[in-house]
Amino acid sequence: MNKDKIFKLAKGFRGRAKNCIRIARERVEKALQYSYRDRRNKKRDMRSLWIERINAGTRLHGVNYGNFMHGLMKENIQLNRKVLSELSMHEPYSFKALVDISRNVFPGNKKEKEIVLRIQCAQCMLYLHMVHPHFLRDHNLVDS
Amino acid sequence: MAVAHTAPSAFLSIPPQKLSSFASPKTPFLGFPVAVAPKPFVQARALTLAKPTPNQIRCQGDAVIPKEQKWMFDESNINGPDIWNKTWYPKAADHVNTEKTWYVVDATDKILGRLASTIAIHIRGKNLATYTPSVDMGAFVIVVNAEKVAVSGKKRTQKLYRRHSGRPGGMKVETFDQLQQRIPERIIEHAVRGMLPKGRLGRALFTHLKVYKGPNHPHEAQKPIELPIRDKRVQVQK
Repeated sequence: MNKDKIFKLAKGFRGRAKNCIRIARERVEKALQYSYRDRRNKKRDMRSLWIERINAGTRLHGVNYGNFMHGLMKENIQLNRKVLSELSMHEPYSFKALVDISRNVFPGNKKEKEIVLRIQCAQCMLYLHMVHPHFLRDHNLVDS
Repeated sequence: MAVAHTAPSAFLSIPPQKLSSFASPKTPFLGFPVAVAPKPFVQARALTLAKPTPNQIRCQGDAVIPKEQKWMFDESNINGPDIWNKTWYPKAADHVNTEKTWYVVDATDKILGRLASTIAIHIRGKNLATYTPSVDMGAFVIVVNAEKVAVSGKKRTQKLYRRHSGRPGGMKVETFDQLQQRIPERIIEHAVRGMLPKGRLGRALFTHLKVYKGPNHPHEAQKPIELPIRDKRVQVQK
């Protein structure tokens, strides 16, 4: 009786694993373990797929996933990633509206790059300073 | 400098029809948490969809079940498949090879790795919102002037390409410029192959890369468009 159950679960397995009880029993046990583990993994994989799709959708509008979600959280828009990914595929105009909302709230980090002022001493050719842009601004060395 | 995308223009060139009920006309956005969009809206949208543009989903208009067939479906499917609670998976008509985009890129004076990265992203389809890891949703990419691709630093004489014939002592080593003299296409192919997934699907994706030595390519009939490269440092600084 147990053998029949095992063979029923072993349908589609490769080689002797579907026919011979000793091998089939091992493979079926492993298959059940994998399915237990993967019922939990599936939730993780799905979420990561939604995030990849949202990322691609927002980058088409010039915003990346991190800044987009930050903007949505700031506006307390509680749409989950599943729905956001479906919106990005099936409802492009609504999704663009969402991206615009997010961009208004959080335009993104525009990092002021550190200006490397390579002041070369004319004689000894040594580099003298690495200057922060605030230094330049405070001392009126740069017109902004 | 970065070139503008061609993909979103397909959406924005169509005059906006029905915006979703998500944004009401009075306020620009809803200040309170919103649930999933209601089902009847899906049917209305499916009916107004005309011919799908290249980046849209096909078979979306089949979401409505004709009246005489409703008895065949049970309660959960009576209004058509639930597209909001089940994650979309592409059907065969969504990734048919004849309707994929073809891109062309000129490799003259472009940094090898940065160019290969952009190419791999487009071949795999990671720039599309419909990206699926198990299905080939990407585009075709043609590379011309492959012998003029550039590398920085001393890589031209120091980067080694190795291959092994399988027999003892069968390791063959070549430098970048030796390989460029011999078979220039292989350099870009090697770079892109390393950036595509390894496996059956990856090997199939690799066949979507076409690399050519001179400025000509035999794929004029596919009407390839310019590959949009967003990397600012892909061009060699002279």
